[in-house]
Amino acid sequence: MLRRLRYWIESARRSETLREEMELHLAEKAAELEEDGITAERALAEARRRFGNIGMKREESREIWMTRFLSELGQDIRYGCRTMIANKAFSALAVLSLALGIGANTTIYSFMESILLRSLPVADPGSLVVLNWHSPPPFNANKQWAHVMHGIQGIAWPGAKGVMFSGMFPYRAFETLGAENPVFSTLFGYFNGLHHNLTIRGQAVSADTEYVTGEYFRGLAVSPAAGRLIGPEDDRPGATPVAVISFVTSQNRFGAPANAIGQPILVDNVAFTVIGVAPPEFFGVDPAAAPDLYLPLHTNVLVDGVQAARMYPDGNFYWVEMMGRLRPGVSMAQAQAVLAPRFHQWVATTAATEGERAKLPALILNPGAAGLGSLRRQYSKPLYVLLTMVALILAIACANIANLLLARAAARRREMAVRLSLGAGRFRVVRQLLTESVMLSSLGGAFGVLFAIWGVRSLTLLLSRGQENFTLHAELNWRVLAATAALSIVCGLLFGLAPAIQSTRPDVMPALKSSRGGGPRGRVQQVLVIAQIAFSFLILVAAGLFVRTLNNLHSVQLGYAREHILLFSLNARQVGHRDPEIATFYEDLRKRFESIPGVGSATFSQSSIISAPRTGQAIKGPMKIGAVTIEGARVMAAGPRFLTTMRIPILSGREIDDRDQPGSMPVAVISARLARTYFGNESPVGRQITLPEEKRDVQIVGVSANLRYGGLKNEEENAMTVFVAASQFPPDRVTFALRTAGDPLKFVQSVHQIAREADSRIPVTNVVTQAAEIDRTISREITFAKLCTGFAVLALVIACVGLYGTMSYNVARQVGEIGVRMALGAQRRSVVWMVLRRVLILAAVGLALSVPAALVAFRLVRSLLFDTRPNDPGTLALAASVLLIAAILAGYAPARRASRIDPLVALRHE
Amino acid sequence: MGRKAHKNDSLPGSLDMLILRTLSRRDLHGYGIVQFIQQSSDNALLVEEGSLYPALQRLELNGWIEGVWGVTSNNRRARIYKITAAGRQQLAVETRKYAKLTVAIARVMGAE
Repeated sequence: MLRRLRYWIESARRSETLREEMELHLAEKAAELEEDGITAERALAEARRRFGNIGMKREESREIWMTRFLSELGQDIRYGCRTMIANKAFSALAVLSLALGIGANTTIYSFMESILLRSLPVADPGSLVVLNWHSPPPFNANKQWAHVMHGIQGIAWPGAKGVMFSGMFPYRAFETLGAENPVFSTLFGYFNGLHHNLTIRGQAVSADTEYVTGEYFRGLAVSPAAGRLIGPEDDRPGATPVAVISFVTSQNRFGAPANAIGQPILVDNVAFTVIGVAPPEFFGVDPAAAPDLYLPLHTNVLVDGVQAARMYPDGNFYWVEMMGRLRPGVSMAQAQAVLAPRFHQWVATTAATEGERAKLPALILNPGAAGLGSLRRQYSKPLYVLLTMVALILAIACANIANLLLARAAARRREMAVRLSLGAGRFRVVRQLLTESVMLSSLGGAFGVLFAIWGVRSLTLLLSRGQENFTLHAELNWRVLAATAALSIVCGLLFGLAPAIQSTRPDVMPALKSSRGGGPRGRVQQVLVIAQIAFSFLILVAAGLFVRTLNNLHSVQLGYAREHILLFSLNARQVGHRDPEIATFYEDLRKRFESIPGVGSATFSQSSIISAPRTGQAIKGPMKIGAVTIEGARVMAAGPRFLTTMRIPILSGREIDDRDQPGSMPVAVISARLARTYFGNESPVGRQITLPEEKRDVQIVGVSANLRYGGLKNEEENAMTVFVAASQFPPDRVTFALRTAGDPLKFVQSVHQIAREADSRIPVTNVVTQAAEIDRTISREITFAKLCTGFAVLALVIACVGLYGTMSYNVARQVGEIGVRMALGAQRRSVVWMVLRRVLILAAVGLALSVPAALVAFRLVRSLLFDTRPNDPGTLALAASVLLIAAILAGYAPARRASRIDPLVALRHE
Repeated sequence: MGRKAHKNDSLPGSLDMLILRTLSRRDLHGYGIVQFIQQSSDNALLVEEGSLYPALQRLELNGWIEGVWGVTSNNRRARIYKITAAGRQQLAVETRKYAKLTVAIARVMGAE
């Protein structure tokens, strides 16, 4: 086979050799014949005659070098190249539209592959399972919480009908399931430690931390890049604090993995020793995260303090996630059958009341090969929607090329007829035409990959803007490229088959006789155009709905300033600042920031307003006004001048300011809605709110206007808000907000400098403008709207090109008919109308087909929309009119050309 | 597409054997091989000249003969073919087969 291949590669040279050899043979033969007394001319002819068919012999020889299939393929490709070069405009257009279509598909598919399909980079990922539980809705009939889970650190997500899902378990559940487990070879736990202050050689950064149990690395079967990984002996109370760092961290901070081993590091001022470095491709078990630091589970007592120690024995506090590796030969269903009763038995012991017993969580196992499902939950639906859209675009592009090929097939009927009548097999001609179309599509696929490289890059950029540290690595790996190659070839066959079959219909005689005109009415073409219009409409509607969703999100009333505000976060407690000094530290910093020229005012709070619900309440326990408990109010710790900086109007009283010191009377500012709900028309200023669990009272000193607290989508509008003084209820981590003149990002340098001067150990994190911080929460919607708009434009352009091509072809075909009409007195206007009418009919049929489809299909994406109904009439009407206008524009040029036909010229042609 | 029966098709594969046998005596170019076969068979065997070249290609692909550029007696550039070691083995095999076949045919003919 190899030799054949080499022969095939050398075939051009060999062919030349063979030709020369045969010529020599003929010459010698002729010379011999000449000696017998025949004239030179006749001798040569005789030599030829005796030799036989030279061409055929050469073919035969060549067939020996390579299989006939290959040789004919070579011919087809050469012929295809010539055809492509001869029709430059057509080829360029076809390749371009295919490249766009295939590129878009490749991009989206590579994201799907990385989010939905790719396995964890560990040994035998197929035998990993994730442990989850589900339970009936946790609220009872009185809307009160009745569930064995009294507290959770991590996430629970709702399923259908209010069922609660979670992957968090109490530590005791982990111990119970791990003991003498017959179905798992290892069971390991972990939890996301969020950000910690990692100090290496005096330099502090914020590091993503993962706490892992001793079996974690063994269970995942990961080998260290250097040193050793955390083992069971490291994960017990009182063990020497050790840490494993990520490969990237070891490179950035120590230069190389080997240098990191044995080095001391500080995690929030607690001393650890680096014992190992994780391998470069390892990112933990969550594709959405990439921890910089892995710590033994039990060291959270050292880092997070005594409250962490209380989590271990508490059977009602859910905080550890678990994964197991199945023993060989054990199926997931078998494991579930063994473990579910065991978990049930244990969890029943933690229920204290009947209500809790009625809603016990039930254990479920899920495949763990791809890691945790947070990204999948968030992105799988949008990705499927996007994949549908790009598939439609590719279908439009294919329809387009099929259409152009049909038109060309009509033009090539004569060529085909000649070839068929000379004895070419029909299959051979079809194969040749298919080779041409597959060549087009392969070229389109190749350029499509180039588009996809760019697309993956820009889409990653677009998505990552929404996240602090984006870890999604979509890439064009061999699986994606194989899918692209397959897609290209299938496309080529799809759009090539119909034209190839049509142009090789066996009735060659009519085509040979007439040079032009006639031909079938092109019903296939019309069907294709209608399909294109229907698909484009779907994509246009999708784009319309998502853009409208984004507009709705952007027009949500915030109640506070969006522009000219710079946000950044600091955590002084992590480097050892303690009460009460921490309050003065933050206040001093605030004053220094405020003194930067160009900064109007500076303030700080426990977090930005938009992400405040995620950082929790600033106080513990309930709030009461007299005997009445305040329900549904949000409490935020804010520094001086918060309302001024955020441009939240003060309706009465004052805002929190410098007067509110740690030792003075605790104060609060409440929102108008809270004031109205609990004080009616009375002025709340001067009244008290009691905090039984904090054993303190706060005095209301002012009323602010209502504001939207938390995200744009799910928080109720004008939530009741209580601001308390950050000096009196000091948070650990604070987010500063500077009101700036001009671009807020101009001040980033000064901010870093001032923070460094104040305490060089504290990293400034999450530097972002308020507008970007808000957009971050709707990054999915922004990405979606942008992508869909891009796709809609693409689809529209491709469909219009198709329409234009079809109409131009039709006009060219009807030159005679139009000529007759004009000779009989038809007006130019009526000729234009004749062509446009056909465009409109096609468009109308397309719309008529796709409107019902749109109504059904878009019900599926309801959850991705905000304040927009899937059948929004405005969007449908807009999409329809855009499509009609585009269709008319595409049809106008051919129509105009038709009206310019000179009847005399046209008729002379007939 | 039907092909005309070759003159040497009376014994399939015999052309290869004849070529190998010819080349086992001396190195020759294509035309020379034809000449040699015709002359040594007293013009009884007429090689269809065109068929020679596909056969040569096949033999070369199998590694039984080797073609190198050389010069003919008329001082013209030509491809001179040599038999290889593998070619000699093949020739032996084919000769044995041929001998068996002719003996078998002779028996059949004699039995009639």
